[in-house]
Formats: sequence, C-alpha cells, structure tokens
Amino acid sequence: MDKSSTYVKPRGFAAVRFFIALWASKLTVPLLKITRHNGTNFPGEVAMKLCPDFLKYVARPEKIITVTGTDGKTSVSNLLVDMLESAGHRVLNNRMGSNINSGIATSLLTGCTVFNRSRHDMAVLEVDERSSKRVYPYIHPDMTVITNLFRDSLMRNAHPEFIAGFLNESFPPDTRLILNADDLISSGVAPENPRVYFGIERMEGDVVACVNRLNDLRVCPKCYGELIFEYRRYHHIGRAHCCDCGFSSPEYDYAGCEVNTADMTMLVRDAGGEARYRLLSDSVFNIYNELTAIAVMRELGMSHGEIQKLTAGLKIVESRYKAEHVGNVDVIMQMSKDRNPLASSRAIDYVTHRPGDKELLLMMNNLSDEVDWSENVCWLYDCDFEFLADERVKHIICTGPRAKDYYLRLLLAGVPGDRVDCVRNEFDAADKLHLTPGTSVYMLYGADNRSLSMAFNVREKVMRLAREAAEK
Amino acid sequence: MKIEVLYPEICNLFGELMNPEYLARCSGAEVVRTSLKETPKFVSEDIALVYMGYTTERGQEAVRDAFCPYLDALRKRTEEGGVTLFTGNILEVFGEYIENDAKEKIPMLGLFPIHSDRHLMKRYNSLYLGKLGDITVAGFKSQFGHSYGDVGEGLFTTTRGPGLNPGVKPEGVRVNNLMATYLIGPLTVINPPFTRYLLKLMGVEDPVLAFEEAAMDAYNTRIEEFSDPKRGFTY
Repeated sequence: MDKSSTYVKPRGFAAVRFFIALWASKLTVPLLKITRHNGTNFPGEVAMKLCPDFLKYVARPEKIITVTGTDGKTSVSNLLVDMLESAGHRVLNNRMGSNINSGIATSLLTGCTVFNRSRHDMAVLEVDERSSKRVYPYIHPDMTVITNLFRDSLMRNAHPEFIAGFLNESFPPDTRLILNADDLISSGVAPENPRVYFGIERMEGDVVACVNRLNDLRVCPKCYGELIFEYRRYHHIGRAHCCDCGFSSPEYDYAGCEVNTADMTMLVRDAGGEARYRLLSDSVFNIYNELTAIAVMRELGMSHGEIQKLTAGLKIVESRYKAEHVGNVDVIMQMSKDRNPLASSRAIDYVTHRPGDKELLLMMNNLSDEVDWSENVCWLYDCDFEFLADERVKHIICTGPRAKDYYLRLLLAGVPGDRVDCVRNEFDAADKLHLTPGTSVYMLYGADNRSLSMAFNVREKVMRLAREAAEK
Repeated sequence: MKIEVLYPEICNLFGELMNPEYLARCSGAEVVRTSLKETPKFVSEDIALVYMGYTTERGQEAVRDAFCPYLDALRKRTEEGGVTLFTGNILEVFGEYIENDAKEKIPMLGLFPIHSDRHLMKRYNSLYLGKLGDITVAGFKSQFGHSYGDVGEGLFTTTRGPGLNPGVKPEGVRVNNLMATYLIGPLTVINPPFTRYLLKLMGVEDPVLAFEEAAMDAYNTRIEEFSDPKRGFTY
C-alpha cells in the first residue's frame, strides 16, 4: 500500500467542507486560550463534526511514528520527541493533548498551515488502544510501538485479548511494528506485519512463578498448554515457552543486558553492535521505556553513538511521583491510577520496596465516577494489596467514597486491622496521620481530574500538619 | 469440604478468583482447581461448590469445548441438588448460542433455554440491585451483550438495572442449586447476606464470614448508594 494514499487532497465539495472545518477548528484554539479552557479535544471535535473525513485530508509530516499500549506510551512518546528534536527534527506530537482520534486531529490541525501544509517533518503520536479503529484508517504510521498489553479499565477495555484483537484489525499491513518480546500478548499482535522485538535479558530480582494477583497470561495463548517462564519480571512480563506446542517468546532484535541499577547503566545489543547507555530511571518500567525508545531510534537509522549523545541530557518526567521533606517526614505523592489494577499494583510494589517505615493515605478513588454513578470496585481484587502487609508499612488510612471497600480489601490482603483506619472524608483522614519522625508518608491518589485536585488539596493539609508536628 | 474452581487459567477476569478464596476462608473448605485439560473433579468427587468465573470471548469457546463431555455430569449434579455458581459471561456458555455482531451464531452448550447477542463495539456497563427472596444483592455488570429467553424467575429479581437483558426483571438463571448470573467480580465479598445463603446451601451450619463486620459495613453503604434514585445506573 502506498503510504501517500492515506493523505488525500480533498477536491470539489469535499475541499470546501474540509477547509471550512480546518479554519473553524483553528479559530477555536486561540478562543480556548482566551477563555482559559483546557479543551485539547475540542478543536479536533469541531473539525470532525464539520468534516467527518477530516483526518483523511489534514496534512501530516512525511514520517509518522505512533506509540500505543497499556502502560508507558506517554513516557516513550516523550523520550522519542525529546531525542528527535535534539537531533534537529521538527516533531509534531500530542504531548499536551489527548490520545484519542479527536486529540490527534487537534494536534494535526495545529501543526499545519491555513493552506493545509505540515510544519513538521516527523510526528510522534501517542494513540489510545481503544481509538485505533478510528485513527489508523486515516493515519498511516511508518512505525508503531506497542509497549505492552495488560488488564486496564474493565469497563472500557474489557481485557487484553480484546484489545489485541482490536489492534490486529487496525494497523495498515506495511506498518513496521516495534514490539515487546517479553510480553507474549502484545508481541503476537498483527502477525503479518513487518516487526522487530525488544526485550531485557535476565535481571537481578527476576522470578519464575507469578507473585502478582494480576496475571493475564496463565497458559499458552496458542494452545492453552502450560507456560514455563525462564524468567519473569512481574505479572506476565518475562521470557516463556509452552510445554505442549513449543510456542515461545520471540528472540530479541534489541536486547537490554547487564542492567545495573547501582551504576545506572544498561548495555543495548543488536545486529549492528552494542553500546552502554545511562539509565534514566531505576524502575523496571522505565528501563523498558528507555530501551523501547532506543530501539525506535535504531530503526530510524541512528547509530548507537548518536543515540548515546541524544540520551545524555534526557530525563524521564516523573509526573506521577513528587517527594518533599517537610518537618520530620517525607511527604510523597504517588499517582496510583484508579480502576487500573496494573498501575496500582506497580505503585504499591514500588512504595513497599522503598527503604524505611511508611504511612499511607489510600485515596485512589475515582471521584468523577462517584458524581453520577458509583465506582466499580472489581479491580481492587486484581490489585496487589497483599504487598501492604509488609511490616514496614506501619499505618494505612483508607479514605474517600470507597474507603470501606479499601478497608475490607486490606483486611483480606492480610494487613492487620490495628494498622488500618477508615475515614470517609479525605481532609479528616489527614488528621489521623501519625507523622512519626523519619517516616515516609505516601499519598496514593487516583488519576481523574477531581481526584487529582482533591489529592493536591489534601497534600497541602498534610504538609501543614507535618510542619506543625515538627514544631511541637 | 471442597470448592472446585473450573478453568481458573482463563476464567479469572475482574477479581473473580476472590470468590472461591473468600468462600473458603468463610467455611474452611479446600479450594481445588481444574484446568481445561483435566476432568472436573465434581464428576467423581464430593464437591460442595463448583465455581466458574468470567472469561474472554475466545475463552468462552474454550470452556464450551472443554466442558462439553461433562454436561451430563452437571445435569446429574444439579438434579441431585449440588451447588454450582457461574458468574459473568459464563452464563452465555450454557445457553444455546451466541450471535456475534449480528453475523454468525456460535453454538454453545444448550443447558439453559437462552441465547445471547454480542456486540464487540458496545460495552455495556451498569450497576445492579436485586433480590433473592428477602436478600438484597448489589453488584456490577460489564459485558458485550445480553441474553434472551424464558428463565422463569431467574436467579435474582431486579430492583434497579438490567435483568437478563434491559427489558426483563429476572436476572441470571437458576436450576435447583445451579446459579448463573451476569454479575461480575467479587460478588461474594461484596454481598455478605448472599454469601451466607450460599454457604448454608453448601452445608455450612451457622456460617461466620471472614471480616464480617467490615464486609457488612461496606455492603450497607453500597445498598444505600445503589438505592438512591439520583444515582445513575448505566455508565
């Protein structure tokens, strides 16, 4: 399929309709700024309302890379944009906007002139998995990265097999896929497409048996036979083979090896050579994100030396983690995406493995759901609250509309009842904190806008209480 | 006393494996697991409860194929009053067929006089409030379709939310002590009165639930919320 065929120049009535849509939607961008509205979807929605085929006609850069998957797509997209811009490219991206079709339309319309000419030579677009069928018929990427596929919001994404099926039917057949060989779900997507795999060789701390409640791949995805893991990082991520049919993890084209979190380096080996890279973060998730970005840059034809230079000044933005020492304690905000057992399990695992004693304010409620509805709490029972039974977790306060559900879940997870308090009101919950000197106080909070706002307001109170406690 | 979990390797979505775990903690029962490639233990052993939970769409067909040889054994167990609980879309596996995106009919096991539709582009999410006798049951639904057919009174009588489909009050299917419901997730954890009822059917005299006080507290809050007419029910 000729890639240029997906970028169609409108003619006749279609052209009139398209340009009305383009100009009208462009006008909404400054209007939103003037009225101080943060509507990253709105211009795209206007464009697609006026011209349903807007994504077909709007100009786009010559080279397009899309990034999708359950977890890590924002981090990988950001790393790619930063590296490509450092390399001198003008990169269109949806970093500030949404990753659904209207958000992508917004990025494209803001990235082209009023005469529909792209101002960029490259695009890195994060695409929501569930929006694939609305995006890929129009946006024909040269490369697509799938970071991984896990159980996500059950109401929207059902289960990873469903999402994999969605992606199977979405990608243009000649789009080159950059896939995670350590994820036997996403690595099998769109088997006819050209592809390369990345993965991380055995690491310190790897296990064989699954220690997580959430395990999306308990048997062979081909024949339901027994899967044997050579090593497992977490959940279903690792290297495995089937005893019955011989199905196994693909070989790595880009292998992360000799990962050393003490000196913060990783060797990346591929057919063209190898090079040692500085680790941008010590969390395994982010090591995968960095390796993924390096694999994409190699696929774009850059040498290891060039990529090493580009990564030198890079940072992974820890927007989901914010730590501050106040009074005699550390106050740490740790986003723990509500309704998502994977993200919350990873956050809980991370918190539990931090050194020292901890006190937790558990407020991962989805407050937006509670306005009109009631949060579906099934995901709590796929999430690793069992890790919080660790003796260094001295005190947990469950709060918010679902506080009682969290309390019950913690008891079932083996957390002793005398370590748990349950307080409905989030601000009152802060009063229950012990704030023992030397303790780290973690606030685990949800990701919807209402929950974010609540979390930062409660944080102010926690900081004040910590200061007052230190002055006494 | 034993609880048999059928096909947990693929029937494990939405926290449902907590159901047999919780029932075991409330009864002291042993949980035994049977994989797709094994013969179910209830065929030859005394099993207090057979449980199977939500699976993927491909998983539904795998369950159908694996379970087909044991359908008569389930019929016999049911006639004899054996207790069985199916949650989520496993209910559809025991119907006559699933119509997939209005295109193909996928034959199922035909134990229940129902058929189901499936629309993969339309996920249906709702809260649920219903009754089993004088027991109030609250729960969640998340599915790609509904079922249709005469199920008599079903398992639950709907107070709010959809029954077997949005047009009817009966929810789920009940044949003696074989119970199947579209409700998903940790149904037994969030519904202590229903769990007590289930444990009694299983032969537990005077059941005491694990963390009963906390479970009842969360349950009462949920019933109050779900009974509030201002609260939306479909997502």
